[in-house]
Amino acid sequence: MTRDIGRRSQLNLRLSHLRVFVGYTLLGLALSLLFFQVLRGEHYSSLSTQNKIRVIRTSSPRGEITDVHGAPLAVSVRTFDIVGYPPDLKDARILGEVAAALQKQGIPATAEGLGESIRKQYWAPYRPVTVASNLTLGQVASLVSDPFFPKFLSPTPVFRRVYPAGALAAHVVGYVGEVTKDEISSRAEEKYRVGDLIGKTGIELVHEGTLRGLAAEEAVEVDAVGRRRRSLSRIPPTKGQDLRLTLDLGAQREAEQLLGGKKGVIVAMDIKDGGVKVLYSAPSYDPNPLTWGVSAGEWGRLLKDPDRPMMNRAISGAYPPGSTFKAVPALAALVEKVVTPHTTVYCPGQLKVGNRIFRCWKRGGHGTVSLVTALKDSCDVYFYQVGLWLGADRLIEWSSRLGVGQVTGIDLPGESRGNLAGREWKKRRFSESWFHGDTVNYSIGQGFLLMTPLQLARVYAALANGGTLVVPHLSAGEHPRGTDLHLPREALGWVRKGMEEVVKSGTGRASGVYGVSVTGKTGTAQNPHGDDHAWFVGYAPSDNPRYVAVALVEGGGHGSSVAAPLVGQVLAYLVGVER
Amino acid sequence: MKLREEKGNILRLLFVSSDRNLLFATVVLFLIGLFSIFSASLGMEKNAGAFVVRQATWGLVSFSAYAVVLRVGYVRLLELAYRLYGIALILLVIVLVLGHVVRGSQSWIGFAGIRLQPSEVTKVALALLLAKHLCRHPVKGPRDLAGVLALAGMSLVLVLAQPDLGSAIVFSVMILTALYAAGTPARYLVGLCGAALLAMPFAWHFLKTYQRLRLMVFLNPYVDPLGAGYNVIQSRIAVGSGRLVGKGFMMGTQSKLGFLPEPHTDFIFSVFAEEFGFLGGVALLALFSLLLWRIIAAGVKSRDLRGKVLVASIAGWIWFQVLEGMAMSMGLAPVTGLPLPFLSYGGSSLLSLGIALGLVQSVFVENPRPDDDS
Repeated sequence: MTRDIGRRSQLNLRLSHLRVFVGYTLLGLALSLLFFQVLRGEHYSSLSTQNKIRVIRTSSPRGEITDVHGAPLAVSVRTFDIVGYPPDLKDARILGEVAAALQKQGIPATAEGLGESIRKQYWAPYRPVTVASNLTLGQVASLVSDPFFPKFLSPTPVFRRVYPAGALAAHVVGYVGEVTKDEISSRAEEKYRVGDLIGKTGIELVHEGTLRGLAAEEAVEVDAVGRRRRSLSRIPPTKGQDLRLTLDLGAQREAEQLLGGKKGVIVAMDIKDGGVKVLYSAPSYDPNPLTWGVSAGEWGRLLKDPDRPMMNRAISGAYPPGSTFKAVPALAALVEKVVTPHTTVYCPGQLKVGNRIFRCWKRGGHGTVSLVTALKDSCDVYFYQVGLWLGADRLIEWSSRLGVGQVTGIDLPGESRGNLAGREWKKRRFSESWFHGDTVNYSIGQGFLLMTPLQLARVYAALANGGTLVVPHLSAGEHPRGTDLHLPREALGWVRKGMEEVVKSGTGRASGVYGVSVTGKTGTAQNPHGDDHAWFVGYAPSDNPRYVAVALVEGGGHGSSVAAPLVGQVLAYLVGVER
Repeated sequence: MKLREEKGNILRLLFVSSDRNLLFATVVLFLIGLFSIFSASLGMEKNAGAFVVRQATWGLVSFSAYAVVLRVGYVRLLELAYRLYGIALILLVIVLVLGHVVRGSQSWIGFAGIRLQPSEVTKVALALLLAKHLCRHPVKGPRDLAGVLALAGMSLVLVLAQPDLGSAIVFSVMILTALYAAGTPARYLVGLCGAALLAMPFAWHFLKTYQRLRLMVFLNPYVDPLGAGYNVIQSRIAVGSGRLVGKGFMMGTQSKLGFLPEPHTDFIFSVFAEEFGFLGGVALLALFSLLLWRIIAAGVKSRDLRGKVLVASIAGWIWFQVLEGMAMSMGLAPVTGLPLPFLSYGGSSLLSLGIALGLVQSVFVENPRPDDDS
């Protein structure tokens, strides 16, 4: 007990030490408060009424996008915004004055509208908010010289985007718009601010990092009247880098005229490095209103348009390739030694598979055909047979080797993979096994097979350049190398011979009359939603190929009459430009 | 053998037998908190009333917890001390694995629409643990010291992993205060402090970027005048511009114009100081002093050594957060995210403080009156 008491008083002593210690520290706090609030109170009071830290932002222009010859596709033009700082703009009366001053210059503005807009833009008290935008130099000059113009607002130059090519290159270039709050937070390290422009689609999106100009930012302390007292920190501006594309605007214009008002695609590509010269998808749209500000109604109409003008059919449209696909089973059969160039098949106009009849497009049949003649006249029965001899698995495997069912890797967003199909796919999708009929349809580019026009172009580029699957690209700088498929030269030669004959004397004659020798293939693909799609793929010049081109006309009918001339003319233009 | 008083019914307990000064200080502080939160939330986007309502609700919850703890008594809770500490450690592990990341640190668990910070609950468990352990195994040699440090250190390590530097420091203060109050020989305490000071340069290495920035900005706010330094500058302006009598309730301009970030939590004292000035600040300090004084008084009155240690670590916890919260608002200490007791908005903090004060009152109540002390 005694030990307990002794210990108790010892601990009590310690407790009172603690009490004293606490007392002194809290006294220290009180003295600090005395210092800040009483001794230096006036100083801080004045700081709080003025509280003037301001961030001044000066935009930098975004990099220009040009075509291969330097023709402008996207340029930055300078306009003016009127900016202010939220603490100065809190008062409703002040907003009314600002609105009045703007209305005098013919700029529609209301106090409520301004208040709403400022609330939406608010980020911090020291970050500027835009009160009016897209003003000309003239408007700014008369605003500033107006004696009623509030002194705490200032004009600041801002760069806006203009697309001189309009709808012609919309699917390639894309457009920019104001950055959304989601985009700001998902790209937090890149420090976007409310009001910045960011690429929304196309090249503007994919090459955003290169094109973007970083604004100069300076944090300053200003006095009550707004004069600079001192600079706190400064980030220098960074100009956006210009971007040159491989696109040829002249050829693109040619493609637009050739398609006329029809829905479809024209794509042309350099066969050796994959540089895309033409990428036109119709119908198209003008990106300029989307960048400058379009009403919700107009935007809705554009999105809901049943013709889907915003869809880039060249890379996002997946279609059955039809007879243009026949080059693939032809090549596969030769390399797999399933047929020789001289193996014949008799075409009576149909083939019986199991208990189904598959017809050839020519009612009476083609008679005896071999590889070259079957390609020339696009005999379906020959390819039905070849497909069956190859078997589904090898057919699918070869398709995959040539890029079917994969994105090409072009520097545009929204690429579709198309559909490779195959046994496992059918099992997963339909819980059914693969039938011979499916192989037969696949061999002539119908059935479950779906390809984008760009994928098809890539296949033919491989045939033309000796077996390299290139990576298509639009930006002219560094680009990824293609993959060598190690295709035997002889097999390639025979397939190319067949396709030369297509243009010389076969279904593709209409493409060869424009002054340049074309090698290619027609296609007329059955379309479950309407008329057949018209296809033609070809490369030129035949003896020393430089470019491949694809034309697809949705619901256009026969590839031979509708699509072939388009490819012929586009190739002639491109080859002609070179000379 | 300790004398155990007849505890009587709960109302008697709450309002007659317990230390009424302590209760008074607590309630007034809480009410001041409600007013300050209301004023602070006027400057924020969200509905001002919502924060006050939630704080008041948590206040009621905490008061109920306080009453329950008072009724149950600290003695019974001390019996469970090791187990409660174990549960707290488990909760700390859960929050590391499942917790939400808020502002860079994983410190919350959410369930049934409620969010809880286990580090707050751990403070209570730690206080109980220290009281029980240090009295069962008083520190007479280095091995005892190592034992208690290892045991208490587990919560420290887990909280540092979140990373919650502020709570880690609070735990350290609690451990130190408990050791001191338990009669640990001075040389061990000096040695411990010395070791901590020596470890600081190494600790810098382990700090994350934003934590280092907070320290640098505390030394010179203009290092980052638009980022971390901004808070410091603006808070000091708020406090200083309160001057003698303040700008008046709801008239503070710094918080309304959005200059003060997190005005309802971290910088609640800045809001208060701007609106009630030096006189208000001194009154607040007086209330806190009364609170801490009475907490320690309960320990002095107690004949139970465990009660003394329990009370000491709780006093250390509250004292440190008061010191840090107010100093931070003046720019005299780095920002840590620790709530100012009873004033800052936050349910977990109110709840743990409620339980802690319940323990303190229980220590006070379960002992004879001063004249009986022998």
